[in-house]
Amino acid sequence: MYTLNHINLKIDDNKFILLAGETGSGKTTLIRCMNGLIPQFYAGYYKGSIEIAGQKTTERSIADLSTIVGIVFQTPENQLIAMNAEHEIAFGMENLGISQGKIKEKIEEVVQLTNIEDILEKAPFEISGGEQQRVAIASVLALEPQILILDEPTANLDPYFAQKILKLLKTIQKEQHITIIIIEHRLDLVLPYVDEIILMKEGEILEQDTKEKVINGKIFKELKINKPLIYSIFHDLKERNLIEAPIPVSLHEAINLLKQKL
Amino acid sequence: MSFKFLEAFKFYRKKAVLHNLDPRTKLLLALVYTISSLLFTNIIPLLLLFLTLFPLILIGKLAKQWFKSIRGLSFLFILIVIFNTFFLSVSYSIAMIIRIVIMISSFSIFFLTVDPNELSLSLISMKVPFEFAFSFSLAFRFVPTISIEAQNIIDAQQSRGYELKKKGIVSQVKNLFPLLIPLIICSVKRAFNVAEALESRAFGSERQRTYYFTIKYTYKDWIMTFILLVILTLSIIAKIYFNYLPSWVSWGLPI
Amino acid sequence: MSESSPLIVINNITYAYPNGTQALKNVSLNINAGELIGIMGSNGAGKTTLIRTLNGLIQPQSGSIFINNENIQSKTIAEISKSVGIVFQNPEHQLFSNTVRDEIKFSLKNIFDKEELLETKIEDTLKMFHFEQFKEKAPLNLSGGQKKKLALASIVCRDPSILIFDEPTLGQDEKEIDFLIALLRKETQNNKTIIIVTHNIEFAYQYIPRVILMSKGRLLADGPTTKVLSNEQLIKKASLILPQLTQLKASLRAIGLEIPDALHTQEAVRDFLIKFFESRSHKGGLS
Repeated sequence: MYTLNHINLKIDDNKFILLAGETGSGKTTLIRCMNGLIPQFYAGYYKGSIEIAGQKTTERSIADLSTIVGIVFQTPENQLIAMNAEHEIAFGMENLGISQGKIKEKIEEVVQLTNIEDILEKAPFEISGGEQQRVAIASVLALEPQILILDEPTANLDPYFAQKILKLLKTIQKEQHITIIIIEHRLDLVLPYVDEIILMKEGEILEQDTKEKVINGKIFKELKINKPLIYSIFHDLKERNLIEAPIPVSLHEAINLLKQKL
Repeated sequence: MSFKFLEAFKFYRKKAVLHNLDPRTKLLLALVYTISSLLFTNIIPLLLLFLTLFPLILIGKLAKQWFKSIRGLSFLFILIVIFNTFFLSVSYSIAMIIRIVIMISSFSIFFLTVDPNELSLSLISMKVPFEFAFSFSLAFRFVPTISIEAQNIIDAQQSRGYELKKKGIVSQVKNLFPLLIPLIICSVKRAFNVAEALESRAFGSERQRTYYFTIKYTYKDWIMTFILLVILTLSIIAKIYFNYLPSWVSWGLPI
Repeated sequence: MSESSPLIVINNITYAYPNGTQALKNVSLNINAGELIGIMGSNGAGKTTLIRTLNGLIQPQSGSIFINNENIQSKTIAEISKSVGIVFQNPEHQLFSNTVRDEIKFSLKNIFDKEELLETKIEDTLKMFHFEQFKEKAPLNLSGGQKKKLALASIVCRDPSILIFDEPTLGQDEKEIDFLIALLRKETQNNKTIIIVTHNIEFAYQYIPRVILMSKGRLLADGPTTKVLSNEQLIKKASLILPQLTQLKASLRAIGLEIPDALHTQEAVRDFLIKFFESRSHKGGLS
């Protein structure tokens, strides 16, 4: 059995994309392919090719690809390798041989962007999970990737900080004009920010389209993923032909829809 | 089982004089005190040596953690007393304990006040290759993480009826599996996570690495270096002319 | 057991970690037998410390804990664990056996010394958690969701009268959460007391009747979930967010749709809306 099979995918720039699917559907494996970790770091049977910003992932080193694709992983604690945020952010740039002056500028920029001024000198075990994740995001952004990929960045966070991280990501995506691909189980929190959705199951891509189209489709309904509460309620209303507009996913949309009805 | 003793070697950032010194100076400190303590076998000179170290512990605001590390090694002291008293004398075992305290104190000053990031920088300044120096600081970085994980594993197993203490060597060894296997598996997994994160941030790039942070030998370091060299010289002189020193220096207990 | 004495009595406990962090400050709490109670609060609020005190993993520096009228301070963790089972967040911290079956057996062997009884209990557990087809599989090769379920099974099979779950819905899919909900129903019907630490605010709102909110080691609130989680001020203090259901209900009222306050589940709100629209379309008012 293949972890991934018959994957064909085109991703535009400047988009906020949600990668969703049941656990074990191959989402994490797919994103590992996007910066060359597969097949360069994890060996296995690999066929086909991926081109990111005109570069084949098998022909450039992972280090080189890191300036195009940045990945933030699930457990923030395990991706912080330095004893404080400033060292953490500098690390990637040092590896790439960037000059001290430029590193300084970039640190200031990403620190401001991710709002971590207050914790710059703190060790990973002195800060909260949400702060750890922001440091991790800053350290990846410092390499100026055109694509930022996040594997369940809010899995270990409480809803308040999860929402903060997602808001931050949307701001980053807009300000930096980059594409963000996110794996996220908390659909109720993430959907308001999403432009496009990719649905996966058993190693295959079932659907890739705009948020509106995917959510109103059959595949989304049938997948065993945790759907937002608003979606579930209004989906049932639509099935009874009580509403006809697209199914809302946020409270705001739902209320607007009802307002028109009343 | 507890991992509290690791606390004693965990770096905490503090705004104290010792913390601001160059790591190389502090390495010199550890070496000077270790060498000096090895020169003597009498209580008084070792005690004097220790007394010069004590202000540093206070200035560095390390008293609490230092005390913990010393207390954590008390079983070692008991061992020393037992062996030395049997074969030699009580005075000798006291001297040996002071010697060990000096060595541990000087190294714990080093580990408690040197930021692991700076540690790798100082290794690099001593021509150690970056990869090696970096893995050293990485190991330091993950000590607290792993000790927390170990505690979580113990807690999880105890919650399902696991008992820490068992009688008999065989069952004791067998009893370690429920702790060691999850710890090993989680550590391997973490190692992969860390490696992925490193790779994704251009670790091992073919380009010439730059260093954003640098360490500097300031005038404070030179002053400290001078003091340390004076201590070392005095110790050596005292050792060479030991027999000409006043007799109270070699004072010992009658047993 | 008299009606007046609760099953768990936590009496003004305080705990600080060796590094000085105050994790619990003067926490007092009573929990009755057969209750299903949630503990919520932001990361670092003291939730996991609190549950660790309940089976003796952590000894509070002051205050006392009584379970079944007995002070647990005088008991060993092994003794307490027979009546208090904690399922921790990360299943990988406890899975170590070669097969799913052995994993269950490890949890049970201290309780059942008769081989025959032990075997029956193992088979029952495998069946209850739908592990029959995986029973010879290595726990490490299970999916994340299945591992979590196995960790759950490894505690529930010991049949403790108090069950404590730390983030049971984390990383779980729809069908696994459905299984959990069914399990909670069944165990509470058997008069088990269940304590759930969770960030999942929608889950708590719909399925957990009583909740306590914690913040910085203190108890912030204790009461019916639907009331506590609808209190905007408390939610803010505890760094949580309002459940979508309460937000939806409030918004519905704001646009003039009088929805009864007692509708606390997704299904109830949905049925209300269906009825509302259907009655309107019957009157021909829907345009």
